[in-house]
Amino acid sequence: MMAPTSRLGVITRRIPLSRPQCQSRPKVITSPAQTRPYTQHLSKPVQIYRSTSTDPYLNLSIEHHLLQRSHPDSTILFLYTNRPSVVIGRNQNPWVEVNMRRLRVGLPTSSSPYAEEDFYGRPHANVKTIPVSLVRRRSGGGTVFHDAGNTNWSVICPPAVFDRDRHAEMVVRALRRLGVADVRVNERHDIVRDLDVPYVGRRAVKVSGSAYKLTRTRSLHHGTCLLRSKNLGHISELLHSPAEDLIKARGVESVRSPIGNVGVGGEEFADAVVGEFQRMYGGESTGGGVVVGEEEALAMEDVVKGLRELTSPEWIYGQTPQFTFSTHPTEDDPRERPSKWRLMSHKFRAHFTVRHGVIQSAKLSGLRYRNPDAGGSPDEILSKALVNQRIHHIKDWRTTLQQASSRIVDVNDLGEWLNDAFGLQTPGIKGDLSVADATVEMLAQTEVGRYLSKNTD
Amino acid sequence: MASIARCLRVARPAVFSAIVSAPRTIGARSFSVTATNAIRKYTKEHEWIDLSADKKTGVLGISEYAAKALGDIVYVELPAEGKEVTAGDAIGAVESVKSAADINAPISCKITQVNLALEEKPGTVNQVPEDDSHGGGWIAKVQVTEQGLKDFDNLMDSTAYEEFTAAEGEH
Repeated sequence: MMAPTSRLGVITRRIPLSRPQCQSRPKVITSPAQTRPYTQHLSKPVQIYRSTSTDPYLNLSIEHHLLQRSHPDSTILFLYTNRPSVVIGRNQNPWVEVNMRRLRVGLPTSSSPYAEEDFYGRPHANVKTIPVSLVRRRSGGGTVFHDAGNTNWSVICPPAVFDRDRHAEMVVRALRRLGVADVRVNERHDIVRDLDVPYVGRRAVKVSGSAYKLTRTRSLHHGTCLLRSKNLGHISELLHSPAEDLIKARGVESVRSPIGNVGVGGEEFADAVVGEFQRMYGGESTGGGVVVGEEEALAMEDVVKGLRELTSPEWIYGQTPQFTFSTHPTEDDPRERPSKWRLMSHKFRAHFTVRHGVIQSAKLSGLRYRNPDAGGSPDEILSKALVNQRIHHIKDWRTTLQQASSRIVDVNDLGEWLNDAFGLQTPGIKGDLSVADATVEMLAQTEVGRYLSKNTD
Repeated sequence: MASIARCLRVARPAVFSAIVSAPRTIGARSFSVTATNAIRKYTKEHEWIDLSADKKTGVLGISEYAAKALGDIVYVELPAEGKEVTAGDAIGAVESVKSAADINAPISCKITQVNLALEEKPGTVNQVPEDDSHGGGWIAKVQVTEQGLKDFDNLMDSTAYEEFTAAEGEH
């Protein structure tokens, strides 16, 4: 859930390094005279920050702000933990990577022995759930899952010393110091644990994934670290799109790996990473790091600017590289389509080319029409009318099809079929929401979302 | 393009002064270079740009050195056509091995055309990064502004760039 944001006044505090683990947060200094924004440190050679926010969009925006505004020769460590979120890479396709309906159903806030959703995919009334935020980050790489049992670490440094393994190795050393001996960096620059599984033998499970962003003057390496996530059993459902077999996307596809927890506490892990970072770069004078609160971050104009970009549906969905959606094997995408998608008449075919969320070309055929001979080919008229539709703004494909051609006989079946494929809300649950609307609505339920709508540009 | 290789580093002061002083003479000389050939120059961030003989248009891309250092390029995020940019602006990005690396405008210019073929075949940038012909790894064609011409004067020619990358590789 959201971190408390009602702290007034201050914000720059330092955490003593060797604090007993899992204690309450350090006392807040409330005298306004001592209020100094965390940005006062941006010119120091070594900087360490920890965010108290659990908002994934805000934390990534603070990180981006540090990347852009810190001194080009400085080296920075930033640590943060997010509420449940699925984070896709810069050049990925959410319709391929993510089950959007499952994200909206959400995850139980406490472990429950019962199923979280009923037969219709609606959350059970007696299970408290939190929806999973969908985030597109600015760095490359594949899709990862974050929650309270996962701590993210991020190192920003001059490109001169950039090395894809250097800071993953730093985290490995931190984990070993905490007694997790079986960790190493693999050839994909991920951190894995080599576990001995009975009857299976040695098996590597991924505990941390890496991604990088390189700008003209700076390089950023950030990674996840699954510590004690309670949601490992749900991650696969969240990361399997219903339509992955129908879509061929340009850009980057995720590589699936078995995952595991390392089993240490968040504070413990953060302290150990800070310790290793200081062994590499010094900066002991910074103590355990500067605490960055939600409120002070939102007071930075640049952070808010980045935040607006990151939360906009045009970034999350509109940045998607070109893809084709096809009900049948094509020359470009010859995969056999699974039978679960053969709900319609066997004659039915659909092929869309979608660029940045906008339908560039559509070709539908095999549909039944009322008055099929009344002027022009009905398939062509329908296909033409779908061009330029922005799929992330479609609220209900039944309505979209109806508007494109009023003569389709099976308009409801076809519309629901497309609603399923493109991850729209199960109709009837809560009005008609496009995937973009759903993202906006989910954001509006959060502190950061409320702040953004209150302070519009 | 950011510096990316393990050992890439911001130029040492000695190298720096070489770059700053070199373009002046080259810039002056360029007027007498054969009119039909484009002139190619490089940025410290490893972009190249060809300036046409009439100095009105250009073609840009990322250098062979950078393409090698980046590793397998899996996606090229192309600039927006029609966009006017100043030198150093991020105009696009290439993704390789989980890294999104900005492509920066080497000079002030207006993007007139982008190499759409790279979206489908991003590996072209690894194969022929400095090829400005059809099927090559060039990123964009541009219209050069007055400021752009001045920016161009401050870039490195191929000899200076070679020295620059050799110095980076030493570390």
